[in-house]
Amino acid sequence: MKALTRITRWLSGLLVGGVLAFAAHAQGNLEIDTPAIAALKASMQQRHAQLAPMYASGAVGLAVDGTVALRDASVVPLAQRSGLNALVAAENADRAALYREIARANQRPEWEADVRRTFAQRWIDRAQAGWWVQRGGAWVKK
Amino acid sequence: MLGLALLLGGGPFARAIDRLQLSIGGLTHPAFELHDIELGFAAGGSPPRLRIGRLRVGASAWRDILLACPQASLARDGVACLAGTLHVGGRRLPLQVDFTFDPVSAHLRVDLRLPSGASLSLVHDGERRFDARLNQVSIDELAMLASLFDAGPADALRRYGASGRIDARLVWGPPSPGGRDVVRFEGRLSDAGFSSEDGLHAGEQLAVSFDASATATTSGWNWQLRAAWEQGGAYLHPFYLQAGPVLQAQGQVGAEQIRIETASLTMEGVQQLALSASLWRGGLVLDRLAVSLASGDLAVLGPRWLAPLLAPALVERLRFAGTMSAGLTMDAGVLTGLELVFDQAGVSLAGAAGDRGLAFGPVSGHVPWRANAQTQADLRIEGGHWEALSLGAFDVRARLKGGQVVFSPMQVPVLDGVLALEGLELTRHAEGWQGRAGVVLEPLSMQALTDAVGLPQMAGVVSASLPGVRFSHGELTLDGALVVSVFDGYLHVTGLRVSEPFGLASHLQADVEARHIDLGQLTDTFSFGSITGFADLDLKGLELVRWRPTRFDARLASSPGDYRRRISQRAVQNISALGGAGAMAALQRGLLGMFETFGYREIGLSCTLANGICDMEGIARGERADGGFRIVRGGGIPALDVIGYNRRVDWHELLGRIQRVIEDNVTPELH
Repeated sequence: MKALTRITRWLSGLLVGGVLAFAAHAQGNLEIDTPAIAALKASMQQRHAQLAPMYASGAVGLAVDGTVALRDASVVPLAQRSGLNALVAAENADRAALYREIARANQRPEWEADVRRTFAQRWIDRAQAGWWVQRGGAWVKK
Repeated sequence: MLGLALLLGGGPFARAIDRLQLSIGGLTHPAFELHDIELGFAAGGSPPRLRIGRLRVGASAWRDILLACPQASLARDGVACLAGTLHVGGRRLPLQVDFTFDPVSAHLRVDLRLPSGASLSLVHDGERRFDARLNQVSIDELAMLASLFDAGPADALRRYGASGRIDARLVWGPPSPGGRDVVRFEGRLSDAGFSSEDGLHAGEQLAVSFDASATATTSGWNWQLRAAWEQGGAYLHPFYLQAGPVLQAQGQVGAEQIRIETASLTMEGVQQLALSASLWRGGLVLDRLAVSLASGDLAVLGPRWLAPLLAPALVERLRFAGTMSAGLTMDAGVLTGLELVFDQAGVSLAGAAGDRGLAFGPVSGHVPWRANAQTQADLRIEGGHWEALSLGAFDVRARLKGGQVVFSPMQVPVLDGVLALEGLELTRHAEGWQGRAGVVLEPLSMQALTDAVGLPQMAGVVSASLPGVRFSHGELTLDGALVVSVFDGYLHVTGLRVSEPFGLASHLQADVEARHIDLGQLTDTFSFGSITGFADLDLKGLELVRWRPTRFDARLASSPGDYRRRISQRAVQNISALGGAGAMAALQRGLLGMFETFGYREIGLSCTLANGICDMEGIARGERADGGFRIVRGGGIPALDVIGYNRRVDWHELLGRIQRVIEDNVTPELH
């Protein structure tokens, strides 16, 4: 069980890292190694261990606007839904900061919306089978 | 009102009667009406049938209600029906009906038995008294019955997956003949639950007991209610609530409005929560509302109500303490007044990376706000801190008018200095708050500052005059200058812009000009060896992200003037180590070991940092034929040059080297 958790955590880390690297590449020569981006990545990777089971259960889905969304809170025990909401809000705050930061690190703050769009697509493309993603305004299970 | 007619069917009087039909004109009550009631008995074994041509309950009406009675009796004291089946509009309902009806007194008793064993009994005394009991009726069964009256509530119950059982009694009628109508509804909902499709509104294992009564008046009803939430939990996005609250309320229902005269809610963390309100009956639109909260315990209310509502992303990092009282008024559905009173209240936000973060408190005082009038807020803040910078006690006085807050001059003690804010104004716009102020930092000793932030102790003072501080879209722009007098010289910081200072992606931009810095004091402070002399530094376009430099254009050069210029053996070694391998001509290495100090003519080093790479250059016109650049140009006796060869240095690596030289105090290797 412990090993499984570790592998999941490792895979999750790889996924977050992979998406970050890939998205950066897709945007061209995006410089993503600022102290803020490193801190945001670390914060998101740490949170991913908690979010991954939420993606798998369908409680949280990957939205088309590059955020994560509470999709079906009913799969989580009642008393834990506040915590789940806080988790989603914190993740979205980091994601918004990440998109802003990548654009800013490129000295192109006006790229923020493009960075967000690119990331949204990458998160969705890289989502594991069984996770819920938003397509054409509707939630679909990958 | 009751009309009665007997219609005997059949042929000539002498023949046997094969059909008996009893027509009852109608039955009316404030709550319901029955019309065209017919009771038919037919020969040949078919059960007697009761047909109600038209039934109205409240605003709902039905036609063609048919009750078939396998066991029926017609006696002098009325008609009775046992184990009847009911069809409404041709559809059979899954329930069994028993009823007795006395056509003379119009006394009616109906018992509905559901397959689950639940039952409903309705008794009408023929006058104005109506008594209904629900015994272990499930929400599903109630929805089924409710759907007969109105599809809306039944659909809502199904959509929310509502479940549970109700035991209740409703009594409607005047307590004495000729008196006004009184309605009493009391009961208990148990094992209840509900959930919206997305799970954002849900309750489980709920039990609520209630006792409501209403008395008719000339213009409507006077009502009162007590409801106690006894068991279970609920998530009403974004709040998680648990059983415990008890509501007591009373008011009136008039032709146009529902008034809640007083309502008080008893719940954990609140000494008293009371409200009064009026709503328009059409669509239940809020007209007026007044809420008062007395002695709310912020340690309870903060995490449960305030943080999820105001800053869900920070729930884990926010801590609250102390007490708060509040009042709120709304007119015509619009907020007209808000009053907050703090008593020893405190709030802290832990740093995003586990550092100390930000804290204020204890805070005591009064913040009133009116939509159409100017008010005055007074707060006493006993202290606080931002990371390692501790703040002393200060008073905040502000005029509040609509969406504008104008502060009186404020003196905030910071370490041993004072931050004076003049003309601080905050204005609320559609896109958020904007503000401006004039800020003066009255001298703060470098000793206190360096002690606080854990740097080697330095002498000197920090002061600032920033007449044009502006805050907009989460960004702080500081027009003016921050002056740090240190190491016998000064640092002049201009063009300061700070954004998201408390976030993971905090940013700072500035231009720094340092003049006449005593290198002796500087190198001594940072255990860098010893350099005698003075230097100037220009740091243009400095950008700090998370308080670490990511971009700048820096140039350090010896200050002009006539002064003693010596550099110690150790400082030479350290500078060489910073430049990486091969920073010194081989011939000079032997020389280094022989003398403690050397003379120099000038020192010069520039670094343009971008993308994690520092592009280095040395003294202007100090290029060498072998590609090296002079960092120290020797002079006097003995003299030696320090030469750098590596122009592109990884910034993190350079920082690591500086840190090792300063902190570990190790002697760097020379190659």
